[in-house]
Amino acid sequence: MNNPTVDRTRFRYPLRWRVMDSLEEGASLIWPRSLSRHTGWLLLAPALLLVGILVLGLVQIAESSLHTLDTSTYLPSENYTGENYLTIVESATYLRILWRSLLGAALTVVFTLLLAFPYAYILVRTSSALVRKGLLVILFLPFFIGQVVRAYGWLIILGNSGAVNEVLGLVGVEPIRLLFNYPAVIFGLVQYMLPFAVLLLAPALTAIPQEIETAAGSLGANWLQSLWYVVLPMAKPGLIGAGLVVATLSLTDFAMPAMLGGGSQDFIANAIYDQFFRTANQGLGSALALVLVAIGSLIVGLVFMIFGAGTLGMGAKK
Amino acid sequence: MANFKNGLSRRSVLRAGVAGGGAALLSTLPGTRLLAAEPAKPAEIIVRAWGGEWVDALKAGVSDPFTKMTGIAVRHDLTEDNEIQPKLWAAVAQKRVPPIHVNWDTTTNATKSALRGVTEDLSDLSNLKNTLDLAKPVGLDGYPIVNTYGYVYVLAYRPEAFPDGAPTSWKALLDPKFKGRIALYNDGIGFHFPAQVAGGGKLEDIPGNMDACWKFIQEVKAQEPLLGEDPDFTNWFQNNEIDLACTISTNALAAKKNGVNIAWTVPEEGCKFDTDGLWVPKGLPENELYWAKQYINFAITKDAQQIWCNGLGLPGVVPGLTPPADLVGDPSYPVKPEDFEHLIRISNKVQVENESVWFAKFKEIMQG
Repeated sequence: MNNPTVDRTRFRYPLRWRVMDSLEEGASLIWPRSLSRHTGWLLLAPALLLVGILVLGLVQIAESSLHTLDTSTYLPSENYTGENYLTIVESATYLRILWRSLLGAALTVVFTLLLAFPYAYILVRTSSALVRKGLLVILFLPFFIGQVVRAYGWLIILGNSGAVNEVLGLVGVEPIRLLFNYPAVIFGLVQYMLPFAVLLLAPALTAIPQEIETAAGSLGANWLQSLWYVVLPMAKPGLIGAGLVVATLSLTDFAMPAMLGGGSQDFIANAIYDQFFRTANQGLGSALALVLVAIGSLIVGLVFMIFGAGTLGMGAKK
Repeated sequence: MANFKNGLSRRSVLRAGVAGGGAALLSTLPGTRLLAAEPAKPAEIIVRAWGGEWVDALKAGVSDPFTKMTGIAVRHDLTEDNEIQPKLWAAVAQKRVPPIHVNWDTTTNATKSALRGVTEDLSDLSNLKNTLDLAKPVGLDGYPIVNTYGYVYVLAYRPEAFPDGAPTSWKALLDPKFKGRIALYNDGIGFHFPAQVAGGGKLEDIPGNMDACWKFIQEVKAQEPLLGEDPDFTNWFQNNEIDLACTISTNALAAKKNGVNIAWTVPEEGCKFDTDGLWVPKGLPENELYWAKQYINFAITKDAQQIWCNGLGLPGVVPGLTPPADLVGDPSYPVKPEDFEHLIRISNKVQVENESVWFAKFKEIMQG
């Protein structure tokens, strides 16, 4: 401390610096400094490769969708045709399944956001560390249990001989069929989607300073007015992001309709599975898959156009 | 099962082989000559199978004795039959070695693969000459598949729901007191043909005119049936969700073994009788193809069939098998020609050629 000058001859670089220098030198052999302005593309390359593979898969699916199945040889037809798409459009069954899937996704978004918003709000605003930790544990526990196991759990709890009906039986109520219908599917989806929605909403709510709510209160707004005119508009990016994720996951869900729907509440994913694996009609299955991709993309595109990308836009302007 | 409990002696396995004759694997040639004639043995062969009691029975009756006899390990791949199918088709189309050696499959599914040309010809299996006609796939040339047993889609019921005795007709499904408490397969498999009869139609009209079938299924739809797959039926009976179901007798038997109070019957309109089989996908190396075929050849010996089929509670394809004691005289275990009078068997070729149409029609009704 008495002599602040550094004895350069005796200065020893920390080991970490030496390692980083070596790595940098090694990296410059593979990616010369002269190419540094393209480094962004280099970092993007894995993502582009992944998207490229997905696009390639979609192209193959599109090609497959243009062939019908010859049931005398179980081979796809040689010629190209739009017959599979015509089958979908003309089929009351597929239109019904499409409508059921869309309505199911919409209902799931509404119910999930209604439940997720207060949960996320309390999680963010509570001053009790214990409450926050408790809420986080409850939120994350279901993540460790797969979707199929969770659906099976509901079969046990809501079945005719399940816990709910047993409790009802104690007060003299005959067993009620709680499973194998549309509400059961929506219930399962909402329960499955809730953690996703809370996790997407929480950052958006954290970004709203509590002082703004205090200010609204000091200007005469009651709790409800503060929520409606201040918090909800400011939480819109989170609501949009969460809504989009929940909608797309619900629209493409397979397990909940299959397990809680009793076989008569199919979503599009179930119809696609049937064509690929049950009737071996890959052309029709591919056409259904592309219709699903198109509908999902259209919905996401419309939401982006009307409301922006929400938290999914990572702070970018609309 | 007695044989399995006591263990198979090498002598009994060789006896089975001698009965089959022909193939080097099962011949009476001295060991040294046998080895000289055999292609190189792979370390293992992979057999696709259904899980649970299905694979247990296959292991006890066929795979373990085969390993004991040949030294070739048998690995069971439990990928669903519907899901392995596109993988096999893709492997053959791309001229790759397929992911399994032997596919244990429904004859209907296997027929699709045969029509597509991805199955090896099994006509040269020496033990085929000892089998019943049931082993031969109907409507196909040669033996792209070897049927290994038959099964019946019975009307399974909860006995306490029928205090006056077993239901005698499929029309029991229409009884209002069973609304929401009946179950079918989610693709309608097993139900179309008895529905055709129950709806007032004729079997001869299949596939040309199945209006009676669809009319009856429409009426069943009004009863809000549950639609599922094999494991669902056991669960539903066990959890008191259903009283009646159209299901394979093996599932009903398995549920009964698990302590579920369940019985089954063949109603007056009849029940669908179908078969499962074994086949070998194209594209295997020569030596592996040889041993895959020998696996199937062994599976149709009397000793293998006795244990395998008893484990499943199903009638095999070789004569002289002893039925399990609790299935003697059971309508789901046909043995004599008169046992088949109430069973409906339609060519698998007709089934696969019309499957897409029937499936679409069934879905149209049930998803409504």
